[in-house]
Amino acid sequence: MGIKIVVGRAGTEMLTNEAGEVTSHLQGMFSRTIRLLEAGMKPVYVFDGKPPDLKKQELAKRYSKRVDATEDLAEAVEAGNKEDIEKFSKRTVKVTKQHNDDCKRLLRLMGVPVVEVYAVASEDMDSLTFGASKFLRHLMDPSSRKIPVMEFEVAKILEELNLSMDQFIDLCILSGCDYCESIRGIGGQTALKLIRQHGSIEDILENINKDRYQIPEDWPYQEARKLFKEPEVFTDEEQVELKWTPPDEEGLITFLVNENGFNSDRVTKAIEKIKAAKNKSSQGRLESFFKPVANTSAPIKRKESKCVLQSPKPAMKPRMFSVQACNSSRPKLTGGRSLPTLALGLKYSPQLSRGGCFAT
Amino acid sequence: MLELRLVQGSLLKKVLESIKDLVNDANFDCSATGFSLQAMDSSHVALVALLLRSEGFEHYRCDRNISMGMNLGNMSKMLKCAGNDDIITIKADDGSDTVTFMFESPTQDKIADFEMKLMDIDSEHLGIPEAEYQAIVRMPSAEFARICRDLSSIGDTVVISVTKEGVKFSTRGDIGTANIVLRQNTTVDKPEEATIIEMTEPVSLTFALRYMNSFTKATPLSSTVTISLSTELPVVVEYKIAEMGYIRFYLAPKIEEDEDEHETKPQV
Repeated sequence: MGIKIVVGRAGTEMLTNEAGEVTSHLQGMFSRTIRLLEAGMKPVYVFDGKPPDLKKQELAKRYSKRVDATEDLAEAVEAGNKEDIEKFSKRTVKVTKQHNDDCKRLLRLMGVPVVEVYAVASEDMDSLTFGASKFLRHLMDPSSRKIPVMEFEVAKILEELNLSMDQFIDLCILSGCDYCESIRGIGGQTALKLIRQHGSIEDILENINKDRYQIPEDWPYQEARKLFKEPEVFTDEEQVELKWTPPDEEGLITFLVNENGFNSDRVTKAIEKIKAAKNKSSQGRLESFFKPVANTSAPIKRKESKCVLQSPKPAMKPRMFSVQACNSSRPKLTGGRSLPTLALGLKYSPQLSRGGCFAT
Repeated sequence: MLELRLVQGSLLKKVLESIKDLVNDANFDCSATGFSLQAMDSSHVALVALLLRSEGFEHYRCDRNISMGMNLGNMSKMLKCAGNDDIITIKADDGSDTVTFMFESPTQDKIADFEMKLMDIDSEHLGIPEAEYQAIVRMPSAEFARICRDLSSIGDTVVISVTKEGVKFSTRGDIGTANIVLRQNTTVDKPEEATIIEMTEPVSLTFALRYMNSFTKATPLSSTVTISLSTELPVVVEYKIAEMGYIRFYLAPKIEEDEDEHETKPQV
């Protein structure tokens, strides 16, 4: 999870310590992690390692956006437009190495494992194309916003959209991903139509009206596709050791209270919460014991399901579920492909390390 | 074409009362074998499996295997309109998107038809393999319901431990702890009052009382309940339904987070 999503702040004001260094990221990370622990989850934080070359383009774009936003922000502050200030100041947020290191240190003190990898599953849909079978959205939103967690299941999406995995990957590349530019004028709707009509990006490029849609000259869609299909993953030998340990109380107090000026009462209370959450046994789920099977009886009447993006009945049925219900327990994972899913909050459970027993 | 006539209509009423709070929507599957249902609660922690064998119906006609998606709350509303002595007939035509419940009074002087809309439900069907359980406890169902109710006023979870001595239900909460031990007892006047423990290995598992309490809503269906336990498996709480079938509740155990255990237990 990139910490871009946990920097809690409003307006242009940042929480800072006595030395004037920003501490908002620590505050956000601290309180939200406690919330996950209290819900019986075992979070694993995944930090960006070296980005793939393809992502550099996107990163450069983000950088230039930030520069733009900084200018816009200055204007908005001058004009006194509150909404714009909020909007642009969010865009100027830049995560420095210092922020990342702070967060890692905080998490280790809390006893939460930290992993560094090169591609991560995140708030965007890319994770599905990487082969994560489920994807949760809004998990880390502040509780004050009361947004239900959304669950996306790739198999259902493919079924509803009537696409193969390869076509789905192409669709995602066309609609815009982190790894290469998208074609101007083609968004989700058009992309889906084109994929349905032609089947793959190659065929689309052959048939598309080149005057209407400008295809970027240097468009590395093939590399992007390869990256989705064969991401560099951890092999069994270099298995990541994930371990949840009791929090280091003294370390946390030194770090948060003494170095960063957090209120000591609040930190002490929070530590109590972490300890209580760690002692709580977590609820197992049935899928870890029984495997899904095909049902033999046909529905008495199956309504024809038709699916378009933005149909009145959403094509991808987001399912709400209570945070309480998600759990996991064994602190170890095998195999690389499951990493993106695990990074999202380890929803599944004990049999994970024993292998085999659950097809998500 | 589907037509199932159940003379003891109250059974179906009781079945619905026992599952409607656990599961909102479910598919009822009809085949030559019988009328069945498998559904999980929304958090996928508990599962209910119901079977009413075709032999138990006075008339059973099911031309092909079909499944009917129903909202259990709505179905229960309709079945509540049937008298306890009524004969209930479930009817559905091929290709129809409704199901009809017909209630006949025992004297045949009142006949009511309730038609309910069916739903399209995506549900996951889990394969439940036959398993040998390490411990099987059979006890009066009212006693089990009482224990679950009592313990839930003290704590949230129950530890069920079976040893040679008997079966122990224990809980712990903010106000204190509670332990209830039942010993094997076969010397009773009525067989349904016996407590019988079959055990190959001692077992101890933790469960959420909230679910256990929900299962005990099936108590009116049967005077005895069978609890089957194995480490590494969900518990099965089974109520037999007259001579015609059963309702089984499966509940995934709570996983104890014992730090030492992680150290000593080799990961496979």
